[in-house]
Amino acid sequence: MSALRRIGASLFAPALAVVVAIVLTAVVILLIGQDPAVALRVLFDFGDTPAQQTQSIVVILNRAVPLFLSGLAVAVAFRMGLFNIGVEGQYRMATVIAAGAGAAVVLPAPLHVLLIIVVAMAVGAVWAGIVAVLKVTRGVSEVISSIMLNFIALGTASFLLTGPLRGSEEGAAIITTTDIPESGRFPAINGVFDLLGLEQPRGQLFGFLLVAVVVGVVVSVLIKRTRFGFDLRATGLSPSAATASGIDARAMVIKTMLISGAIAGLIGLPDLLGDTHHFGTEFTAGLGFLGIAVALLGRNSPVGIAFAALLFAFLDRAAVPLQFADIPASVVTIIQGTIVLSVVVANEVAKQLTRRRAGRASGQGDSGTADGGTSAGPGGPVGTRITDDRQEAGA
Amino acid sequence: MAAAGATGSPPGDGAPYAVELRGITKRFPGVVANRDIELRVRRGEVHAIVGENGAGKSTLMKTLYGMHRPDEGTILLDGRETQLRSPSDAIAAGIGMVHQHFMLADNFTVLENIVLGSEPTRGGRLDRAEAGRRIRELSDRYALNLEPDVLVEDLGVGDRQRVEIAKVLYRGATTLILDEPTAVLVPQEVDELFGNLGELKREGLTVIFISHKLDEVRKVADSITVIRRGTTVGTADPRTTTARQLAELMVGSELPSPETRSSTVREKPVLQLTGLTVPSLVGRPAVDDVALTVREGEVVGIAGVEGNGQAELVEAVMGLRSLASGTVSFAGQDITRWSTRARREAGLGFIPEDRHRQGMLLDAPLWENRILGHQTRPPAVKGWFIDRRSARADTERIMREYDVRAPGPDTPAGALSGGNQQKLIIGREMSAAPKLLIAAHPTRGVDVGAQASIWELLKDARAEGMGILLISADLDELIGLSDTLHVMLRGRLVASLDPSSLTPEELGGHMTGAHDGSVGAA
Repeated sequence: MSALRRIGASLFAPALAVVVAIVLTAVVILLIGQDPAVALRVLFDFGDTPAQQTQSIVVILNRAVPLFLSGLAVAVAFRMGLFNIGVEGQYRMATVIAAGAGAAVVLPAPLHVLLIIVVAMAVGAVWAGIVAVLKVTRGVSEVISSIMLNFIALGTASFLLTGPLRGSEEGAAIITTTDIPESGRFPAINGVFDLLGLEQPRGQLFGFLLVAVVVGVVVSVLIKRTRFGFDLRATGLSPSAATASGIDARAMVIKTMLISGAIAGLIGLPDLLGDTHHFGTEFTAGLGFLGIAVALLGRNSPVGIAFAALLFAFLDRAAVPLQFADIPASVVTIIQGTIVLSVVVANEVAKQLTRRRAGRASGQGDSGTADGGTSAGPGGPVGTRITDDRQEAGA
Repeated sequence: MAAAGATGSPPGDGAPYAVELRGITKRFPGVVANRDIELRVRRGEVHAIVGENGAGKSTLMKTLYGMHRPDEGTILLDGRETQLRSPSDAIAAGIGMVHQHFMLADNFTVLENIVLGSEPTRGGRLDRAEAGRRIRELSDRYALNLEPDVLVEDLGVGDRQRVEIAKVLYRGATTLILDEPTAVLVPQEVDELFGNLGELKREGLTVIFISHKLDEVRKVADSITVIRRGTTVGTADPRTTTARQLAELMVGSELPSPETRSSTVREKPVLQLTGLTVPSLVGRPAVDDVALTVREGEVVGIAGVEGNGQAELVEAVMGLRSLASGTVSFAGQDITRWSTRARREAGLGFIPEDRHRQGMLLDAPLWENRILGHQTRPPAVKGWFIDRRSARADTERIMREYDVRAPGPDTPAGALSGGNQQKLIIGREMSAAPKLLIAAHPTRGVDVGAQASIWELLKDARAEGMGILLISADLDELIGLSDTLHVMLRGRLVASLDPSSLTPEELGGHMTGAHDGSVGAA
């Protein structure tokens, strides 16, 4: 199969899913008595002035960064056949503790940021590591334990926020941790707009975008090019064959969950380091669950996940403008939901198609021997027949 | 086909056969599971189908029960050609299946289990009185001895099996397929079951009895059809056929391929097992106190009816299964506590029994399958990284040297035929130049050409000083290739034989325990 056809085949399923989702959503919008064309226009209307348009792009990119990281965290585990639903809890714990740690120390700028990142990754890894240890030592399904740990993370983070890490004054409407000092903030990279000759937007483009790109490249190389990645994928494809080939399944569960958790720990940082500078009650929740959908849409490959995250962020941007056009913002959620559902179906269809095609391609080579069957012994077909006749006569 | 000539005569009374299969062929991707199956079952008889595990019995029964459709051939029921599209078609046609593994709901009563799926209702509710009446009637008629209101979880294995039989009869089956029904029973229960089968026969029902236990088959069956390597190889009359003759038919007694008998066995042992015991989930150990030595250049064969501990023995040597006691020593080192990877790196090659489960990643390309099991060794890796280019190049070399027919190294392994998959696995394992090769059923499910070339490869490797532990169900293969032959029965090595003066018939006798006078083994 040529490279072009391979890429075409891998794009086929998600593209089909997006089309199906748009059609279904159009039907829903019609049913609630609105015009789908208006919704479509709002979706692609980035604003009238150049500044508004670049601002829309900033909103999309800033939203896409955490979605991308979340999708990566899910995908790493998924490649090995582990379903890490606990990304949600992992990044919540990581963000609250990293916010606390960042506010507690004063360091030179790059070290301060690095410390916050390391703390967040470590906390995410530990939280995911609990799941791995439970699975390896007690056989607890990672799905169950990670869901449960999500609730524990929710409670623990609230406790930390209102207790030891509380920074806002008594009686304040919004409770937050103490702000991270200037040295612990990640600079914005609005310079790129000047570089590209575009209008400066109102908001700031998260510098963490660069970190996300680096993480994406590292994960991609890790999975596709390293021995560890091979072991990980082999375990995902066939645990029994992997074990027989000498891969220690238990160690792989622990290592993979630690990596997944460490990436999950980064999800809350774009916001924390680039915008809010504290963890508070207005913390963006739900990114961990969206990450599952993003990973699914991106077929667990880093490049695919990047596109999926951009698509989801593009849809999310329209939530507010849609309401101005009298269309409920939940239309966005409906599109995202139907995309995920249709991508699951389309992936399966595409898999069947490629397998059938591959089967036909190689079937031509040896159809003769396949038809030759499995019957005759070392003496060849003729010898078999003779000896069988003799036996039957004897019997 | 030889079988056709031997079984072609019509039944004496002129009535049509209850079940007749003509030329049934069923292919799965890469393997032909059934080929030109000819089966004729008279009404009111117990007809046994015997064959080794993997011979194609289950595929055939699934065809007959409508679980899949044959690619070629016709099914005739009572002389009429019938299409079975699903098990419900088969049930409607009067065919019922009693599975080897019971499909009963433990917390339901006998009555509920029997009627489940075809409940008699009155006013939309389960009519217990009617169901109970019909079940008692069945139970009396066929001496099944069932209590409709007992919970299934309180029943023993024999009782559960009778519930399964009643389930089938309740649906009006006139032909019953019993898949290895005695595998789970103790001897007294086997006798009871045979009593029940007698009752069924007396009432004019037809029973198809699948087994590989030859003494039982001879006791209960009115006629026997033998399946070997996916096709029917003949029929036999249990009254005039000895267990040994049956075994011979079952495993095939073709003369082994010309074998250069010049011994290449050297003095130095590569693998030594002492007191190796592997626990099983229940009862006696799966492998019981096995001692074994494989020397350089020696092929040590393990013969035995499947399920007597060979699979567990292999997994124990590979480090995939923990031991209760005993030691494994390899090339002079005690490797009892080594991981599978350490063992592979030390020079242990492995051709697994089930290549799809343990040998390949079906969805991955061939070059990744080349790396599998060799992730830590050149040419496929450079330090921490996978060397894709040399992995691809080496895969192409294997494809060339071992005649693996595939479009290229990027083809997914699942698209290859069974024989080509197996040749790739053998090429992969040989490429690492192991000191010892564990070959479990190396030619199972591969076509004739591939089989011959696999045998040649093993012989060449032996000549170069590789030790080979060969597990096989193919007696010719065992006798033809082995320098030393052990027979495994119930987890123990019960006999060591000299393959140069051994016939397949003698070996078959040892395998079923007939030679030790302990008939009814296996």
